[in-house]
Amino acid sequence: MNKQPYVAPTIRRVSQATANPQRLGRTPVMEAIDGVPVAGLLGEHGGPLFVFSEAALRAKIRDARRAFAAVYPKTTFAWSYKTNYLNAICRVFHQEGSLAEVVSGFEYEKARANGVPGYRIIFNGPHKTAGELRRAVEEGAMIQVDNRDEVLALAKLADELDREIRLGIRVHVDTGTHAVWSKFGFCAEDGEALRMIEWMTENTRLRVRGVHCHVGTFMLDAGAYATAADAVVRLALAAAEAGCGTVEYLNLGGGFASRARLHGQYLPPEQATPGFDDYARELCGTIKRLWPEGRDLPELLLETGRALVDEAGYLLTKVVAVKQRMLAGGCPALAAYGKGGSNGTLAAYGKGGPVSGAGGNRRNAVVLDAGIQILYTTAWYQPSVYPAAAPAAGMQPTTVYGCLCMNIDVIREEAALPEMNVGDAVVIHPVGAYNITQSMQFISYRPAVVMIDPAGRVHLIRRREVLEDVCGPEQVPEYLAETGEIAEEARVSVT
Amino acid sequence: MDPNPTRLDDLMLNDRGFVFDPNTGESYQLSTTGLACLRSLQHGTTAAGVLAGILEAQEVDPLTARWDLDAFFWEIKQLGWL
Ligand SMILES: Cc1ncc(COP(=O)(O)O)c(C=O)c1O
Repeated sequence: MNKQPYVAPTIRRVSQATANPQRLGRTPVMEAIDGVPVAGLLGEHGGPLFVFSEAALRAKIRDARRAFAAVYPKTTFAWSYKTNYLNAICRVFHQEGSLAEVVSGFEYEKARANGVPGYRIIFNGPHKTAGELRRAVEEGAMIQVDNRDEVLALAKLADELDREIRLGIRVHVDTGTHAVWSKFGFCAEDGEALRMIEWMTENTRLRVRGVHCHVGTFMLDAGAYATAADAVVRLALAAAEAGCGTVEYLNLGGGFASRARLHGQYLPPEQATPGFDDYARELCGTIKRLWPEGRDLPELLLETGRALVDEAGYLLTKVVAVKQRMLAGGCPALAAYGKGGSNGTLAAYGKGGPVSGAGGNRRNAVVLDAGIQILYTTAWYQPSVYPAAAPAAGMQPTTVYGCLCMNIDVIREEAALPEMNVGDAVVIHPVGAYNITQSMQFISYRPAVVMIDPAGRVHLIRRREVLEDVCGPEQVPEYLAETGEIAEEARVSVT
Repeated sequence: MDPNPTRLDDLMLNDRGFVFDPNTGESYQLSTTGLACLRSLQHGTTAAGVLAGILEAQEVDPLTARWDLDAFFWEIKQLGWL
């Protein structure tokens, strides 16, 4: 006789919340990515495994370019390295015509090693060393100056090199929708930024030819870009008026939202997230409306990160343990009706009621072989968790734990999943933005990363870490070199 | 009070694994196997018999099935059903 797949015997109390089967919706199964079966990917490369879809990357940047070109042909995208600087990913964007946007000497070197010439690099960030600035100047990079000390260092460099240095000035703007990123640059609204441009023009050989403003990240309100563009254009025009020369480019940074869902976000991304067309309309409409007729429109630079890469990235991981999680607070449904859910109350009715908190007042939980050390964005997002095979049973609210020996390692407090078994694969999505670059080597090796090309071929783009990757940079002082026998007095008796 | 309440017989079950406990007014959802187990118990099957039934019908090793079934029995005991 052919046996059925196993389903554990379980019982759950039905609360008002779980009684509505529609609440959990239907979680689609993700058996394949770009036509490549998840089971095959895990079989070949082991898990956990990050998977990127090259087709999705290219489709996104093309969609973004199309949306902006339609309303503002002088738009150029620069790939935000920190969002994901795997070389293969960067090269896809460079092939699609993107410049590189870097925020450190390390990222600058990475971009150069990816074949990007200096003049196609935008150099951002609040910390650029003297050596890094010199190299960037010599190679013609677009430096976006952040602060007084950087202005002074660049002014000195211009004198040393006996030449003018063209640069962009970073400014911050209060768009009213987000914490103001006033850590960066100069204030565009209170006259500070204009004063700095004038000061540089009068006192140094620095020539401000660009204005840069990155309003924030994951901007769900496209209108914020109208506010930012308004301030940036007014500053550029005021600078020209003040005799500081023409601002040739406006750089509106990144910040377009990806189709991830924030914690506490009520509407699903399909409804809440603006499209590239919406951002383009707000941003470019404002520039065109304010720019004086007859004057050449400035170049528009964009450093879009997460919106271009997030959905192209998946994490394949497996269930390593299945648990029942005790939910705190006994039985809320009973408490609400003044029944307390306690033995005592029910016993008073001669019913010898259930033990408080036990018996069905639990939630399914699974432990995965990947944790939040490689899923940094779970701090803000609730990623979708898809079973990789058709479920044998219906959906249940399920807590999804990572594999770290840390109580905070929760990937989803409550995801809709069928009864899962050890060894079942799940796909976490979207995870393409920031998780690779912000992942920590903590407790376990960082996983391999593959990219599926548009023909469906799978390429390893970062191998799984090995012990040498972690210990290679370490050095053991000579006196600790011999591990030897454990000293007799240090032995602990366990008997 | 009935010294030996046969609470299992009071339970109302449907084919989708929905259980209503008329003594407490609480409702529960059983997995397919949970439902089969409870029905077997209602028909007087012993714990060993329930386990044998799972092992015969499903792709599972005896130890895993034993673990899960013991946990299931423990939970329904907490509810006063056993
Ligand atoms: C200067 C700058 N540009 C671009 C980005 C990319 O932002 P996002 O991924 O939100 O598009 C950032 C991110 O913080 C940034 O600081």
